[in-house]
Amino acid sequence: MPCEFSYMVKGLLCAALLFAATAQAETWPAKEWSQGPQLVGPAVNALEDYAFPPRDDVTRKGIRTDALLVIRDGQVIYERYAAPTTAATPHLTWSISKSLMATVLGVAFGDNRFKLTDSAARFYPPMKQHPAVTLADLLHWASGLDWQEDYEFAPLKSSVVAMLYTRGRSDMAQFTADTGTFSAPGQVFRYSSGDSNLLSATLKGMLGHKAYVDYPWTALFTPLSIRSATWESDAEETFVASSYAYLTARDLARVGLLMQRDGRWGEQQLLPKAWVDFNRQPFEHYKPGQDEAVPGGQWWLNREVQGAARPWPDAPADTFAALGHWGQALYVMPDEHLVIVRYGDDRDGSYRHNELLKRVLAAVAQQVQP
Amino acid sequence: MIRRRPFSSLVIVLLLALLGWAWHERVNLQAFPDIIAAYTAKEYCSCRYVESNPVDYCQGYVKQYVPTSAFADNPEKRLVTASGLGRTHSAQWLGERQGCRLVP
Repeated sequence: MPCEFSYMVKGLLCAALLFAATAQAETWPAKEWSQGPQLVGPAVNALEDYAFPPRDDVTRKGIRTDALLVIRDGQVIYERYAAPTTAATPHLTWSISKSLMATVLGVAFGDNRFKLTDSAARFYPPMKQHPAVTLADLLHWASGLDWQEDYEFAPLKSSVVAMLYTRGRSDMAQFTADTGTFSAPGQVFRYSSGDSNLLSATLKGMLGHKAYVDYPWTALFTPLSIRSATWESDAEETFVASSYAYLTARDLARVGLLMQRDGRWGEQQLLPKAWVDFNRQPFEHYKPGQDEAVPGGQWWLNREVQGAARPWPDAPADTFAALGHWGQALYVMPDEHLVIVRYGDDRDGSYRHNELLKRVLAAVAQQVQP
Repeated sequence: MIRRRPFSSLVIVLLLALLGWAWHERVNLQAFPDIIAAYTAKEYCSCRYVESNPVDYCQGYVKQYVPTSAFADNPEKRLVTASGLGRTHSAQWLGERQGCRLVP
């Protein structure tokens, strides 16, 4: 051991050298991801049995994984796709888009373009109908707007279907702002794609139209060398932050690595640490069981709240995720140095986050302790 | 009246309730038939021209319980049109970054 010196100065020097060595050992993807030691063995078979069962494209029943990518310490350790999805497919992320918009907003936050306590109306005038709603309320899905999020089961009353496809489609933020209220803002969690699109509209107000249409690229995608991104917008050219960002699994994992490392990308602190802390802080008025995981600031958390068990008991408590319709998921486990992207086309809701995470962790543990 | 014509009375009460509900939901009911055509046009356009998936995959991908009556994809213009429940909607591919959008 080179560090067995007793002199304090040499000890400090040693510590500095060790620190430099650790910093150097930190791997970041350049144009492509580098490959780490690949996951192998029976635990990987168990993972694949769960994630990639024989696929029936007629009944569309069961678990239908399109992509599974595992990153450890900034390197690919597992990657598999199911046709027609490939490593080059910019897959629809659905509601992962919400967490992506939050990350784009984090860059604007670092540029002091807004404060969490600012009212949404300050940046988006149609929200003068709801002057007390703040940016923090929207980020918590707690605007108090009377929104109905069902997709398939109640299409007549669904606000999200009306917003995406019929009455709201040409101006989704305006459609949301015109919704009535059911509660005072900031008091009650109610998951709402409308709240996410209001965030998108407030960002436009902060930047102006011209800078806004390029902002996801200039602020986030280009610094992370993400080249596959598509982000669809409504007729007002407001990004559909609730639903319509597309990225390859490899590119989405870059956002995961940024979040795993507290908003830092290489030497650059792209998001303030305080922003990531906010994303990962449970919304204080969330009641256990209101949703499948605990809402933070447009991200989902695996935290115990009010004595209720963690949503994914087999995953560590610091796990957080971006989640989307039909099984899309980006999981981040900072203490395990893991980022997992899972794309799917699950039509029947049989997929379980906990089961996948349990099997990935088992495969990783098998590799770490041979 | 109710005792003499119990069946007719019940039908009238139900009809009135239905009309009341339809009036209450008139905005939603009017927009409802648009969903299937708009959904099919938009999601097929994105499946095909954003995700670059094959034709047969995208046709299966957008399939819902409600059937569509007509469907057309113009690959040169990247314009997708779908009809169902008496309504027709189109989605247009706009560019690499912009993807697809429903035509107003």
